[in-house]
Amino acid sequence: MQVTHVEVPRDGVRIRCQGVSKYYRRTAVLDAVDLEVRDGTMLGLIGPGAAGKSLLVKIICGLVAPDEGHVFIDDIDVTRLRERELQALRMRLGMVFQNYALFDFMNVGENIALPLRMEGRSSETSIRNRVAEVLEQVALPGIQDKMPRELSGGMKKRVSFVRAVVRRPPIVIYDDPTGGLDPVTSAKIFRLLSDMKAQGTTSITISHDLDGIRPLCDQWLLIEHGKTLFSGDTSAIDQCETPYVRQFWRGEPA
Amino acid sequence: MRLTSVLSVPFAMVGRRTLDIATEMGGMTLMAGAILRRLFPPRVDGAELMRNLYNVGVKSFPIILVTGVFVGAIMVIQAGLYVEKYEATGFIGWGAGFATLREVSPIMIALMFNGRVGAKNTAEIGTMKVTEQVDALRTLAIDPVSYLIMPRFIAMVVMMTLLVVVGDATALIGGAFTSQFLLGVDVQLFFRSFVDLIHLEDFLLGVYKAITFGIAVGVVSCHFGITVTGGAVGVGRAVNDSVVASAIWIFVLNYVVTTLII
Repeated sequence: MQVTHVEVPRDGVRIRCQGVSKYYRRTAVLDAVDLEVRDGTMLGLIGPGAAGKSLLVKIICGLVAPDEGHVFIDDIDVTRLRERELQALRMRLGMVFQNYALFDFMNVGENIALPLRMEGRSSETSIRNRVAEVLEQVALPGIQDKMPRELSGGMKKRVSFVRAVVRRPPIVIYDDPTGGLDPVTSAKIFRLLSDMKAQGTTSITISHDLDGIRPLCDQWLLIEHGKTLFSGDTSAIDQCETPYVRQFWRGEPA
Repeated sequence: MRLTSVLSVPFAMVGRRTLDIATEMGGMTLMAGAILRRLFPPRVDGAELMRNLYNVGVKSFPIILVTGVFVGAIMVIQAGLYVEKYEATGFIGWGAGFATLREVSPIMIALMFNGRVGAKNTAEIGTMKVTEQVDALRTLAIDPVSYLIMPRFIAMVVMMTLLVVVGDATALIGGAFTSQFLLGVDVQLFFRSFVDLIHLEDFLLGVYKAITFGIAVGVVSCHFGITVTGGAVGVGRAVNDSVVASAIWIFVLNYVVTTLII
């Protein structure tokens, strides 16, 4: 899958969060989170359940507005954009949802073709060919006419992945791409993530499968209860002496 | 508990309920505004519109036919009491047709439509919301109002109007046959009094009402669907609220349109 290249900021940082906070009923679910993702790299966003990871990526995509702080994508402040301006920016983004979020009233082919059809730049024949081609690439040939309810969890994940990247966005966010999948299917998904990275995609990956994403990620952000516990590269987290970070990173019991 | 805090409980409940209603009214107004903005120029996906016209209209035909036949039959039975008493058989078509076209048919069909189409619409959009399908549309740079709501809204207004016209026709047929078999009034006499005494305005009043009812069910059901929170329980609550709110709007608008046009 080829990636569309757009102009990268001079400092090479494609995604930047500055002091992002979100409150629900006066309780901080995200507390002044900072992060930076450089062009062509992958950031591993890790932490226990209900730490605020999915909320943070939704804020980055402009799906949820933060109460404090700013999010920049290619130096554009997402928090200041109107919905229509956000739509234009989202052409550079792809997102794979934790629970697939496939459109259940459409078949697989229509799900994948939708972003291309709405873009309005391709003919029906080329859209059909492209859908067949990307399904082939994720080892799911000929399932265009199946409905999402007829697919297994692993197939849904791969279809969701394909739908997110079919437009070749330069930035992709994966929210728990291997959650609930068997090791063989997880390995296939990690291979797709690796391929995307090799194509030059900038990405954020939320995952609990640290063994799977360890070879892929360049930077790490560990959050718990919305607070940053660690931010840095793989060698730094390897050497981190903070007890909770060591325990989480090595998967040691409490 | 102190007496003052006990006394304040009913006021707090009334205040909370008032705020809830004001929030929903505000939400419905915003939804109506969002729809209006996308009507000029129209921003609608053609394939989605066709799919919704079929789901909303064609699939509602059987239920509307049954409703129409029984509405017409009941109007004739009710009118029949006086027709027999005053031997005014020449007015049965007018009596039944007048009430059917102006009031009963639009109201009954709108309530059936609300129960079938409005509830389903809220449930579908609500389920899409809680399963992140609406968020997925947004991340694909697709406007959920243009893609999801506009085709449904247009389909509801168009089909509500058509279904009331079909309902009117079936109600008249049902009424004519009921008057023939129950009251012994000839079908031809029924339709002659209908044609002689009913005016185009009587029919158009029902059509105007159908258009406003379609707008109300469309706006309300989409608003409650797109604002769902709280999983399956939230979807159930939203469907319930949507059906009740739409029914209230149908009665209020019926009063307003009748008052404005009479």
